[in-house]
Amino acid sequence: MRKALFLSISLLLLAALLAGCSSPSPAPTAAPTAAPTAAPAPATEAPAPSAQPTEAGEGADPEETEHPAPMEDGTEVLDEEYHCTISISCAMILNNMDKCNKDKRELVPEDGWFLEPTEVVFYGGESVFNVLQRTCRQKKIHMEFSNPPIYNSAYIEGIGNIYERDVGELSGWMYSVNGWFPNYGCGRYALKDGDVIEWVYTCDLGADVGDDYMSQIDE
Amino acid sequence: MLNRDTFSGYHPLVNFLYFAMVLVFGMCFMHPVCLLISLGSATAYNVYLKGRKGLRFSLRFLLPMMLLAAVLNPAFNHEGATILAYLPSGNPLTMESMIYGVASAFMLASVIQWFSCYNEVMTSDKFVYLFGRVIPALSLVLSMTLRFVPRFQAQMKTVRQAQQCIGRDLSDGSIPQRLKHGITILSIMVTWSLENAIETADSMKSRGYGLPGRSAFSIYRFDSRDRSAMLWLGFCLWFIVFGWICGGFDFRYYPTLKGVDISPLPLSFFLVYLALCLTPLILNGKEDMKWKRLRSAA
Repeated sequence: MRKALFLSISLLLLAALLAGCSSPSPAPTAAPTAAPTAAPAPATEAPAPSAQPTEAGEGADPEETEHPAPMEDGTEVLDEEYHCTISISCAMILNNMDKCNKDKRELVPEDGWFLEPTEVVFYGGESVFNVLQRTCRQKKIHMEFSNPPIYNSAYIEGIGNIYERDVGELSGWMYSVNGWFPNYGCGRYALKDGDVIEWVYTCDLGADVGDDYMSQIDE
Repeated sequence: MLNRDTFSGYHPLVNFLYFAMVLVFGMCFMHPVCLLISLGSATAYNVYLKGRKGLRFSLRFLLPMMLLAAVLNPAFNHEGATILAYLPSGNPLTMESMIYGVASAFMLASVIQWFSCYNEVMTSDKFVYLFGRVIPALSLVLSMTLRFVPRFQAQMKTVRQAQQCIGRDLSDGSIPQRLKHGITILSIMVTWSLENAIETADSMKSRGYGLPGRSAFSIYRFDSRDRSAMLWLGFCLWFIVFGWICGGFDFRYYPTLKGVDISPLPLSFFLVYLALCLTPLILNGKEDMKWKRLRSAA
């Protein structure tokens, strides 16, 4: 009888331990996964995401022009043709080869470029995601995405078979437009003529590729 | 023909070790050659044990399940370097994910086949003989739960027939009435199974189950034949685990397919694995031949 009691209590403890382990883990793991396409922490908390980019912009560089607000659903795609520049790079892995998944090492290009800066055509009202998807198809670059409902946007899981968390827990794909890392998903970034899109692979939640979002949160 | 399968006549320890090995290896080795070996020998042994029933089971149940598993993987998994086409969702359909789907279907089917053979060979008295003294409570619970489903079905049939006699079967009356009859039958069944479990437990206790010095229902002797079989299984275990640690069974599906080059050493791992999986069939074949020779000599 006492044995059974002890067993059930230890089982309960184990279950509690497991639950305890799994509940805080989404915070660190969700952050890198959310980082590339959506704001790391405030994605679910911020009541008005449109207020976020201007705030972040002021904090980063007040003299620069204001950053665009994320576009809403149902934005029409028009026929007008525009041009933008897109590049895909995973150069950061080259500095962190020791952390890289062994099976993926051979996939990393020697200079880090999956796609060097290339000018592509896009149509009015299209998002960064539309351009990435079309370009990857044309250039035969592998790309996998999902559509998590909470971000209201596509989330890029992997490009060129390099996936999130392949190079340590804090790694994943991020994008910047004209040097700014938006804090919302790539499916909601409305492009303007002449925008420069950079897709980069971070190994440290964006800190290594020039996104200061996490350091701002720490302050 | 009480004991058609020679391997079933071996000591339960031999049987158990054999199935533990093939099940663990079958689940862990995803190398295509291993999958073919495992599924092939499991199916062959199952058909040997059950005859046409085993073949019907494979064709009717396992084949559709394998197809489903093979189709489902590329629908949800888009990793892989060889893009064949694009799915309607916009994600790529890759060759690697399709091949992995087929491989996991093979693995799943072979494990189910092995379990099907296991149930035929490792009867519950053998299991209790092996573990009745080491883990009495757990082995009783295991053998009772394993027996529960077929017993429940048999009892259900009896209860349904009894209810049918008084016009209260599932097929009698309007839909609400049928529902009511069904619930009655379910209630009878639940009560019966609870009562039955207590009765079994009481009966086992009153007979001194788990007490020291108590013998099992079936008595097995560990003779020289079992000793040589154990030696053979031990050698296989050692050699295959050695190969496993050396990476002889490694196969990479993502992002590109990659396996070990074919050279004598990995080949020997596969040969030993094949020999291990075919052990019961080889023993049976030998025994059948001996029987034939004896008969023709007479």
